[in-house]
Amino acid sequence: MSVGTEIKREAEENVEQPEAKKKRISNDDLFRRSTQFEIWSYTQESLDKTKRAANAAGAKIATQKFNETFETIEKEQPEVFQTHNETLNKDKLLTLLSFEEEAKYLNYYTQNIIPIAKFFKMPTQVKLTAVSFFRKFYLSNSVMQYHPKNIMYTSVFLAAKSENYFISIDSFIKALKDTEAKDILDLEFIILQSLQFTLLVHHAFRPLYGFFLDFQAVLLHPSPLMYDVSVNTLGSLYDKAKTWLNDNVVLSEVAFLFTPPQIALAAMYEVDKRITDRYLKRKFLKEHHELDAIKEEDSGVKKEDSEVIEKIESTESVENGEDKKDGENETANEHKEKSTVESQREQYETLVRTIRKCIKIAKQVQTSSREEVKEIDRKCFYALNPKRLIEKQVKKVTKEATTS
Amino acid sequence: MATTSTTTAKTVPDSIVQNKYSKDRKVGEGTYAVVYLGNQVSTKRRIAIKEIKTGIFKDGLDMSAIREVKYLQELKHPNVIELVDVFSTTNNLNLVLEFLPCDLEVLIKDTSIVFKSSDIKSWLLMTLRGIHHCHRNFILHRDLKPNNLLLAPDGQLKIADFGLARSLGNPNEDLSSNVVTRWYRSPELLFGARHYTGAVDIWSIGIIFAELMLRTPYLPGKDDVDQLDVTFRALGTPTEQIWPNVSSLPMYNALRVYPPPSRQELRNRFSAATEKALDLLISMTQLDPSRRCDSTQALLHEFFTENPRPTEPENLPKKKEKVKSEDELDESNKRRKI
Repeated sequence: MSVGTEIKREAEENVEQPEAKKKRISNDDLFRRSTQFEIWSYTQESLDKTKRAANAAGAKIATQKFNETFETIEKEQPEVFQTHNETLNKDKLLTLLSFEEEAKYLNYYTQNIIPIAKFFKMPTQVKLTAVSFFRKFYLSNSVMQYHPKNIMYTSVFLAAKSENYFISIDSFIKALKDTEAKDILDLEFIILQSLQFTLLVHHAFRPLYGFFLDFQAVLLHPSPLMYDVSVNTLGSLYDKAKTWLNDNVVLSEVAFLFTPPQIALAAMYEVDKRITDRYLKRKFLKEHHELDAIKEEDSGVKKEDSEVIEKIESTESVENGEDKKDGENETANEHKEKSTVESQREQYETLVRTIRKCIKIAKQVQTSSREEVKEIDRKCFYALNPKRLIEKQVKKVTKEATTS
Repeated sequence: MATTSTTTAKTVPDSIVQNKYSKDRKVGEGTYAVVYLGNQVSTKRRIAIKEIKTGIFKDGLDMSAIREVKYLQELKHPNVIELVDVFSTTNNLNLVLEFLPCDLEVLIKDTSIVFKSSDIKSWLLMTLRGIHHCHRNFILHRDLKPNNLLLAPDGQLKIADFGLARSLGNPNEDLSSNVVTRWYRSPELLFGARHYTGAVDIWSIGIIFAELMLRTPYLPGKDDVDQLDVTFRALGTPTEQIWPNVSSLPMYNALRVYPPPSRQELRNRFSAATEKALDLLISMTQLDPSRRCDSTQALLHEFFTENPRPTEPENLPKKKEKVKSEDELDESNKRRKI
């Protein structure tokens, strides 16, 4: 059913004959219509494939450029190339970045966005959106086509505008070394194209705040469910979860693999598994929480990290859960009762698995040593500027020839 | 979106664009865009192409253009203007929008057209559905006025111009109070509030509702100061009693204290309105934003279920099909803000 018809129904409900209960549009339905879901959500496999394709395409372009350059220079001084054919040959000189190297290099630059955003006192929102733009750009491009430095700056500049934190190009470049206004403005449009003209990014911080409020509603009202959990406990859980998001999630790829509410729950689960799990049980195994209190001890430990993982799935069942409850018939028979219990249990377990998977991926952020990045940086420079590479080699061999 | 799915950052050559869309004639030019009317070649569908100039602004892509693209990409709803496609030509960003030949302001001003109460109800309902979709996606429009409510040939009303829109709901974020065209600006904005909600849009719709009934702008302030005066003369001056903490807003001033209007005064002003219509109007124009109804409450209001039923969109009044010269057509299109 289309989203548009829902309100019509709301407004006309009393006029039309009272048919079966109408399905309401949940936040999950809305999210599934967002460009973030439609264009920018991946499975681990499809994300890897996309990145590998970008790397391969970049390598192809860099190789082509290299070959052309090589042939031009060779034509200018064929004798040198003939005599030093051992060193001055295409296979030996061609410098490309492997998929792994490119990934490391991009991680390095992603990290650099954080101090830049901090320097300009940009809100978290801008920082996260800039990271998102930067990563999305390199899902269809390679550092062997576009050097990441100015792509990074431009991502920050465009993200600031998109998130209503306008900064003039003059004050922006004033703070940057060897970058001119033109470098950034020329790339702005290219980035916008790579983003497929989609600019709205949903981050985990807003749902995190929502969960902070809902944790209070569910765990503290009407009376506290856990003897040692107060508003202060939840406040500190919220703060720590924010820090965890900042430290882990910003640099990881989870934003492509999970929904913002899933990521937010992952942060809370990682910070305090006991409280978060209690909340989830209370929320999902609603009708049966008395029973659950008894089962609680053993259920948490049984099914550990099974590798099953679906693409973005049912976190929003938090909202769905509520809708469902409204739809339940009071006079449900026993059979139905049983299947409800089962499906609730299943939903809960899927969610916990998803959250755990999210945590695991978020923690996999790999950092590279300075030396390693330096080496990749050198390679990237030559991949982008084969002329410099070949000329340097030509100079080297001719110099060796004259000295010997 | 076919043309946007290019994986490399290459510009679509102009010829491809010409094959896909025809640009028939220029209908307006603004500071940051030129608007053309044309057709989608494959479907013969009428479309408008908003060509946004890039590379002419010192700070790169214009903020209004960014906002418009950002939000219209996410909003797909019968009562929100459809962004059919986005593509780029050498140095230009092109937004392909559905063709909407008329707007509500044109109809309001055309005194030869009679509005039935069911017509007003229909337009109001469509406006509320559109804004409800924006709000549930956490998007504020911030510039609702009759001139931005466009009308499709089939009578559907579409909210347009998202150049001032923004996302809502990031805690601790300051918002600008310098938004919304003056006559449709809510009291919290007039007082310079830095934090506000979808209630600012609901206020604008309330004022548009009043304008539809009166056939003349309800609160036409001459300047920002006069706007406060005009607003409060009509709806009463907000006090701490009816709006707690109002006096702490940055630009609060209550130089002239007007009493709130009595029900009878409102009845006299809106003589054709039913009691339910007045209830809804009052609810949408509450001075205190926290007492104002939201889009859901407005849509569920009994005004919409009492007789007469809202007019079906295809039966709504339309712009009189006078035989117009090309020049006149251009003029009327130019008036529309781009």
